[in-house]
Amino acid sequence: MSNSGMLLRLSGSLREVLGTRRRQSADEWVAGSNGGEAEHLFLRATALFRTGDAETAIRLLRQAIAISPAFSDAIEAEGEALDMSGDTAAASARYEQARKLRQAGRAGAPDRHFVLRQQGSHTAEIVAYTRVLKSLKKFALPHLARGNAYLADGQPDLALADYERTLKLHPNSLDALALKGEALSALGQYAAAIEALDRVLAARAKDAEALNARGIAHMALGHIDQANADWRQQLGLLGGRPSAAAYVALRLADYDAALPHLEMMVRNDRRDPYWTVYLRTALLRLGRPLSSDGIVDGDSWVASLLALQSGAASESELLGRADTAGRRAEALFQLGVAAHGRDRSAARSYWQQVVDIGLPTLVEYAAARNELARSAS
Amino acid sequence: MFSVIIYGRNDTHGYNLHKRAAISFNALAEVMSDPDDEILFVDYNTPDDHPTFPEAIHDTLTEKAKKVIRILRIRPEQHAHLKSKTHLVALEAQSRNVALRRSNPRNRWVLYTNTDMLLVSRTPGESLSDILGSVPDGFYQIPRFELPEMLWEAAFDRRDPAGNLEKLRDWSVRYHLNQVVHNFMPMKYDALGDFQAALREDMFAIHGFDESMLLGWHCDSNLAARLALYRGRVDTLIDKVFGYHCDHTRVAAANNKGRQTRMNDQDQYIWNVSTPYVPEQADNWGWPDVEIEEVRLDRETSYQRFTAGLDAALKPAKVPYTSTSLEWFLYDDLTYDIDHTLPFVADQMLTYPRSTSVMIVATRKEFVERFLTAWRAMGFTGPILVPNECEGLPSDLEGLERGAFEDLLPRAEMFIFEFGLATQSPEEPIRIGRQAGPLDARRLKVVTKLFRQATSTEAETRPPGRRTPRRFVGVNVIYNRFWPLFTDYVGANINPFCSQVLAGLPRVDPSLRGKVLRFRGRRAI
Repeated sequence: MSNSGMLLRLSGSLREVLGTRRRQSADEWVAGSNGGEAEHLFLRATALFRTGDAETAIRLLRQAIAISPAFSDAIEAEGEALDMSGDTAAASARYEQARKLRQAGRAGAPDRHFVLRQQGSHTAEIVAYTRVLKSLKKFALPHLARGNAYLADGQPDLALADYERTLKLHPNSLDALALKGEALSALGQYAAAIEALDRVLAARAKDAEALNARGIAHMALGHIDQANADWRQQLGLLGGRPSAAAYVALRLADYDAALPHLEMMVRNDRRDPYWTVYLRTALLRLGRPLSSDGIVDGDSWVASLLALQSGAASESELLGRADTAGRRAEALFQLGVAAHGRDRSAARSYWQQVVDIGLPTLVEYAAARNELARSAS
Repeated sequence: MFSVIIYGRNDTHGYNLHKRAAISFNALAEVMSDPDDEILFVDYNTPDDHPTFPEAIHDTLTEKAKKVIRILRIRPEQHAHLKSKTHLVALEAQSRNVALRRSNPRNRWVLYTNTDMLLVSRTPGESLSDILGSVPDGFYQIPRFELPEMLWEAAFDRRDPAGNLEKLRDWSVRYHLNQVVHNFMPMKYDALGDFQAALREDMFAIHGFDESMLLGWHCDSNLAARLALYRGRVDTLIDKVFGYHCDHTRVAAANNKGRQTRMNDQDQYIWNVSTPYVPEQADNWGWPDVEIEEVRLDRETSYQRFTAGLDAALKPAKVPYTSTSLEWFLYDDLTYDIDHTLPFVADQMLTYPRSTSVMIVATRKEFVERFLTAWRAMGFTGPILVPNECEGLPSDLEGLERGAFEDLLPRAEMFIFEFGLATQSPEEPIRIGRQAGPLDARRLKVVTKLFRQATSTEAETRPPGRRTPRRFVGVNVIYNRFWPLFTDYVGANINPFCSQVLAGLPRVDPSLRGKVLRFRGRRAI
């Protein structure tokens, strides 16, 4: 472990021992999802690079990448350092690698707040906006942008702190309040999230993203009718946005409403194979035949889901490949869909497991809750 | 793959605009390789009697550039509602949004840049279409490198974009041109507005540029702030493409007054931006319901329309030249040659919208007939309005409408007043001392009266909703007794006698004489 990593671990332990948490100042940088050691190396490397020491910078960046291989900002920074050192070919490869890594994960659901549609780590943004905050403390943008980066980075507590600072400076900012609601929701504080989002929606009744967020918070608390009311209202505001409309309709488990939007997205966006998965989900639930269009070859996760829908993969094969809680929830939902025609009780059992293990933000979570509610009534 | 969106007007924005812009248009076209690629140039508020800026420099553009450029012309009348709110004559946010609304929906990307940029791919032979086709969704910028004025002005050949881009590759090394100027986030780089590539879909989602930014500057930073929020990061294409800016600070542009420059509030439009969206303009950004004229340089050009009109209305001359005279003793002779005059009249029309309705108040039947033929063949669709008060003129021609002068006044968008002799025959010699007969005098009296009335009441008789004054074209009004009359009421330039034509907007003469003239005109005294 490097010195910086050791220091970080020790300081963390001391805080825990003392049982206190030092209040973070606005312009203080906190490491994110790539881990403290890698991000400290990144920070040091970029500072050294600015002083002209490209060689050491590249060495430190490579150490950071070795610790966190998906650290796209470090890879891009190495590309920049190599480029300025004259190794254009190697630089170009690093830039490409960084872009591929950022593309690799699944993007957030298109019906959600724009911040939550982003994906991957945002270390460079967090560092850059922290630098802005050293000079410009009283403005909304750097606080919000860094908060968003933290939220997208999976650190809602730090995001919440930035949103609260924004609200102290700009108490009437509904944009900051809506983001605070999202951060609270991400922290599992659904009641507080609903309270914040209620205030946003009292002033901006047609805020589609706030409606979506409040719906998710309501659904997490089991307020199914209220969640669905929010999403129904959101659906009415999404003219011209078939991707978002499809997701909202899926949350509602309203497959009739989802179908035309899904058909359009399968035609228009061939890059995201989940559109085919969801189109086939809707067709299966509506009892209509599946077409073979859009079948994804290979051994990707989505190909496994499609294989299950076509009857070409078994439950155990699919669950065996579900390597995250989210994928497990997706798999269980699809198993419920597949079972529904022949064994409703089995379908209910699968969907109940989705609700038990899935995150409330997942489209499958809401759809499963709605399926369960409908079959119970 | 992508739509380039740029804007400007036919004026003199900064040093040697024409060369800079030609270099840039041609260079941008040069890096396009997808059939859907396009350059959308919004020609904002060029005076109606001028051609658009790209038309004015079309001979310096490559065939490829002419093919990909679509000109969207925003007329002064369409800008009139914003005139009192800004000191600027061209508005960036409005221009860019009008183009975005009308951009090719098949294109994934929109590239915002300016008419003085050259983009050089770092891999020779790779087009910008290839580059943008290969990168993931995002918001991309590149740093801007400056090009000293001497280099682009002295060494670039406007019509050799490939050669110019090659020169840049060489100069960038020899003269150390490539210096990246970093900037605070969300701007990332200095002068960011010269390369901002965003998804077309994202631009629609965030409602385009913020159209409340009417004072100039920082539109690019505002966009960066909003797209940085929307996308979560500002990406770079520095590994793929370099951007060079033709420096033009020898002469300050109209929006650059040094420290006295008025600009949009940075705090409001950059540092306190809290959302990517501009909900206030969600339904009307880019003027979706406004009809915007589109002009092409590769088809139906003004020249093609002009010659089509004249070829339909004129037969070629049978003699090497004809003659007339401006000697003063011929002051009262109102004979003139329609064949010779018609091209100069048609020349006044071509830059106006095709739907323009023109009122013709004239004495000579042949003039009206020939003009109507040319008008239709030039592609105009608006009606020719002829007052019933003008006797002896045709009334049964397609595209021509007769009516009471008072009724036609609020329908006319332009006026032609022709002061000739109704009795002049086509074969008559010109300006040899011919006097007006009683019939001529009677007809001229009507034209004079209607001219005074039209000019004096122009402001209050405009078509409903119109804010800008209408243009008056005078035919046969130079060096004869109608010259002082026409120029008393119309602010026309001094034109050569040979053209026979003067044109301008109604004069607002605050002197006692001006008031008397207007009083007489209004009451037809």
